Amino acid sequence: MAPKINIKQLNLFYGDKQALFNVSLTLPAFQTTALIGPSGCGKSSFLRCLNRMNDIIPNIHLEGQVLLEGQDIYAPSVDVVALRTRVGMVFQKPNPFPRSIYENVAYGPRIHSLFKTKAQLDNIVENSLIRAGLWGEVKDRLSQPATRLSGGQQQRLCIARAIAVNPEVILMDEPCSALDPIATAKVEELIDELREKFTIVIVTHNLQQAARVSQQTAFFHSGYLVEAGETGALFTMPEDERTQGYITGRYG
Amino acid sequence: MIPSLKMRHLKERWFKRAGLISLCFALLFLGCVLADIIYKGYPAFFRTEIASNVGYSLFLNPHASYHTEKPWVVASDDVDLYFKSGHKGKLTPKQIQMIKELERQNQIRLSFNTNFFLASDSREPELAGIWGGIIGSFLTLLITFITAFPLGVGTALYLEEFAPRNRLTHWVEANINNLAAVPSILFGLLGLVFFIHFMGLPRPSALVGGLTLGLMSLPVIVVTTRVALSSVQQTLKEAALGLGATHLQVLFHHVIPAALPGIMTGVILSLARALGETAPLLMIGMVAFIATPPSGILDPTTVLPVQIFNWSRSPELGFVENTSGAILILLVMLMLLNCIAVFIRKRFET
Repeated sequence: MAPKINIKQLNLFYGDKQALFNVSLTLPAFQTTALIGPSGCGKSSFLRCLNRMNDIIPNIHLEGQVLLEGQDIYAPSVDVVALRTRVGMVFQKPNPFPRSIYENVAYGPRIHSLFKTKAQLDNIVENSLIRAGLWGEVKDRLSQPATRLSGGQQQRLCIARAIAVNPEVILMDEPCSALDPIATAKVEELIDELREKFTIVIVTHNLQQAARVSQQTAFFHSGYLVEAGETGALFTMPEDERTQGYITGRYG
Repeated sequence: MIPSLKMRHLKERWFKRAGLISLCFALLFLGCVLADIIYKGYPAFFRTEIASNVGYSLFLNPHASYHTEKPWVVASDDVDLYFKSGHKGKLTPKQIQMIKELERQNQIRLSFNTNFFLASDSREPELAGIWGGIIGSFLTLLITFITAFPLGVGTALYLEEFAPRNRLTHWVEANINNLAAVPSILFGLLGLVFFIHFMGLPRPSALVGGLTLGLMSLPVIVVTTRVALSSVQQTLKEAALGLGATHLQVLFHHVIPAALPGIMTGVILSLARALGETAPLLMIGMVAFIATPPSGILDPTTVLPVQIFNWSRSPELGFVENTSGAILILLVMLMLLNCIAVFIRKRFET
């Protein structure tokens, strides 16, 4: 598989504190990469480097390269707004805008002027909701406030909102941690389907989830990328004993 | 059984009781003040009138021009006071006898005092009204709103969203917080020096009053707006940023709408404070006696609280009820503003 994102020697600092040490990782296109590791190991920080979401944090400093199809996203010529249309994000807690279901999905296409007629926008909204597996549940109440949906529906709405701008990569930061098992199963199923069109990176605390949805897994520990590889291999035959310890539940 | 459990429950009960007692005290004081003002103030909404064909000119106000075709004319303040409360004042026993005679013949009556609402200030309590003060307050508040709202909200937006976090901005922030607690009379002094002496604006005008009160409201608006802005959830901002919204789009599409109830509440409450403010306006010379309502922001103006202050210093007994009556009107206006604030908060909160 062709690499979608290539991370080279990434070092991340919050002020004086270093959060990531020399992380190098390749994310293959149209595959799901799971980032696992104990809390505070830097996996979320790493994820947020991939669409420069860390930019909003003051005193942050970054070394190394993140190449999206060969282009460094931290190069001065890169517009962060354009980058985020290519690399979308779904967050830990479902965070729909306090607007209607329709307007939530339509927001991205609106700000980027991705349509010419109202019919085209309707089309984008419908397709995104279909791809997020939410259309059947909400098609009769698109004008209702999104905040009235259940947690699982809200999270799928957030996924629909992210894919409405047609990104190439979708970053997911523990997308199921606030959901019940049934909603989690739906989101996991969705992730598997989305892989056909998008490259997905998912941070998760749930090792079974990582095993279920991902093709590649990367294990982080104390800011270091300890081990990365094909998911099946990493879970059955980890090379590093820290990985071994974590996936067998000896610490975490 | 845990040994300390009984004591812990007892403490909680006593704490609740103490809170209830302090609440009762507060309500008692509030009730006393309101009852006193209403008791003293409601007679101001009525006035004593005498049938004009009677011709006891000594009871009529000498300054007012009476038309003979009018069946009822306004009684002078001494008669008014006697008729309402039985206070004899400067009236001679003979005059009192006359009033009683009028009463028997139904030639004297109480009627609703429209004059109190439609007239401006006067040296005569029975002719004085609050219209000038209300118009003055309205114009002054308008200037305050026009200046303080955009400046305050703009400052808060910049400090909260764009300003770099360094020593200078920390220093500015600390000073704004301090300014919000500065006694209002100092803002009056500032207004006097800057707007009147330095800029040469006309003295007791709504423009200067409004600008001075605007200065006073500014820090409060900045502080409340910043609190409202910073209480907007970070996840909402991240959602929009993650979709590729620019910082400005995040602000105008999400942060400001979400913070609007808080911002408007802060602005309205600081306007309510400005509406009741007296001290800084005395400082800039708005204490003058002004008998006509202002027709523009540069005209000599008085505002309702200053008028109340002036009336309360007046030696004439008739002004006592006028003072309380005007306070009642001011309270009603403040309550209306507060109701608007509550309404806005409820309306926009989803």
